[in-house]
Amino acid sequence: MSPPAAPATDRDSRPPPPVSARATSVLSGSRALSVIALLPFLAFLVVFALYPLAELVRLSVTDTTIVGGAFVSAWAGPANFVTAWTDVAAGRSALITIAFVILCVGVTIVLGLTLALLVDRAVVLAGAARNVLIWPAVVAPVVVSTMWLLLLSPTVGGINKVLASVGLPTQGWLDSEFGAFVSIVVVDVWHWTPVVFLFMFTALRGIDREVLEAARIDGAGEWQIVGRVVLPIIRPAIIAVALVRLVMSIKAFDEMYLLTRGGPGGATNLISLHIRSLFFDQLAFGPAAALSISIVAVTCAVVGGALVARRLRREGGPT
Amino acid sequence: MTRTQVRDTRTPAPPPTPRTTPRRRAGVLTESALAAAMLITLVPIAWTVLLAFLPNRAIVNRSWDFPLWIGNFATLLRPGEPFLAQLGNSLLIVLGTTVLCLAIGSVSGYALSRLHPPRWLTAPALGLAGLLPLVPPMTLVPGLYLTLSNLGLLGGPLGLILLNTVFNLPFAVLLMKSYIDQIPEELREAALVDGASEARIFFSVVLPLVRPGLAAVGIFVSIMAWNEFLFGLTMTSGGTSAPLTVGIAALLQPYQVTWGQLAAIGVVAALPIIALAMVANRHIVAGLTAGAVKG
Repeated sequence: MSPPAAPATDRDSRPPPPVSARATSVLSGSRALSVIALLPFLAFLVVFALYPLAELVRLSVTDTTIVGGAFVSAWAGPANFVTAWTDVAAGRSALITIAFVILCVGVTIVLGLTLALLVDRAVVLAGAARNVLIWPAVVAPVVVSTMWLLLLSPTVGGINKVLASVGLPTQGWLDSEFGAFVSIVVVDVWHWTPVVFLFMFTALRGIDREVLEAARIDGAGEWQIVGRVVLPIIRPAIIAVALVRLVMSIKAFDEMYLLTRGGPGGATNLISLHIRSLFFDQLAFGPAAALSISIVAVTCAVVGGALVARRLRREGGPT
Repeated sequence: MTRTQVRDTRTPAPPPTPRTTPRRRAGVLTESALAAAMLITLVPIAWTVLLAFLPNRAIVNRSWDFPLWIGNFATLLRPGEPFLAQLGNSLLIVLGTTVLCLAIGSVSGYALSRLHPPRWLTAPALGLAGLLPLVPPMTLVPGLYLTLSNLGLLGGPLGLILLNTVFNLPFAVLLMKSYIDQIPEELREAALVDGASEARIFFSVVLPLVRPGLAAVGIFVSIMAWNEFLFGLTMTSGGTSAPLTVGIAALLQPYQVTWGQLAAIGVVAALPIIALAMVANRHIVAGLTAGAVKG
């Protein structure tokens, strides 16, 4: 009985027999050491994560104004949440964000998966593509919007230059509401498809080649192999990357802040931009904080729900 | 047509051409689709590089002649321009953030992986570290502004180093932990039995073995810190106190854009990172796939 139980006793202070007395004293002393080793990490979290989060909660339940350069707060209860949720501009911004998130997540996943399948099958360009296709993901969002502004701008934009030289009418891509919205989706897709591609490619490379070979020998065509074998195997990876992209697109800020500033007419006013404007232009600290907390709660609920569903599925499944 | 093909494959010695042609055609399609994807990836980058070497009148012009010129870069370096100071700030922020993340990430990763810290401490810490990447950074700006203001760190690179560090630490700690988890426990026990202290084990046994992890974390964190914009925008007053990304944004004034300079500064911000992506591809892939999960 005792040998199989040995690992379990490890957590109690009872020493496992083969380790020398000196080593055990070090092992038990390591608990204090572990706290010391974690202190810098904990200090950072408390000062720069816990405190601002607490501050956000405090702002959300108080009526805070600037009086003579100092913040003055008075208890406001849930009033800020009511203001935030009934605000028409916030509602429109939320709808735009939902459309943006669905489009960006969907398109980057389809494109990233397609690229991964292509690179996995390619011979000549596989090496070069694996390198080049991730470049957008390492470029700063600020630079990405600069690059796309240089393409989309009505005066100097490369796209209009091409259109003009082949005799087509030029477009003010960022001037119309629809054009601006499509533009920020295109920019986001260009920027972040590489991340999906990397995930999907790693997942594809993890598939046992013998499984694919077996399907091929059984007479399955390429499309059947992808649809019936590959996709079911990498489905957990697809769900994981979908969650990652979901969080990324809810957080999107830099590109739109520079490319469209939320305009024209609020057509690209994503929720992060709206919160910035509440905080810094309108100085509506309470509603801004309430809206922030609501967004964080929704994000946590979606991500947490997906993780719980995955765990339930894994436990409930046959294997 | 299809019937003859089927019969062909059934004959004992099938001619190789009809079987390989569809596959080869699929191969050509694959390669051309990839070439198109690479082209789309490269066009915005190449266009920016091209404009960086053009004078403004050639940029605004609709014609296709390109009189190459390095004046945009020369303009950035003129005395009185904030470019060099911003470049220095960005480099300082990258250096400080990377050193802090590597140091704290590896020590904390080691503690979490091997030293069995008490659960009442790790559970809330890891919960918070898991929550932080889900929070839009924009929402924390007011609280962080107050924090930096109280610490007297507003407007300088040190404050930005600390903020960049905290937002990259969850990733750094968890990735280092997963690398350290892979080291066999026997190595540590053997070193303990031989009388090595925890510090000695950490520096002489663990760190050399997790060098790939340090490289992945270091490169990923450097890129994130170099690219960071929001905190640079909100925690400095711009000009010579700001990082390079904020300098780029400052050139994007609605009615008076100096396009050539904008392209040039974009090239300075993008090309070093792309060069890094070419050289250290393997580490970047490791960092991006792990970093995206945590971030």
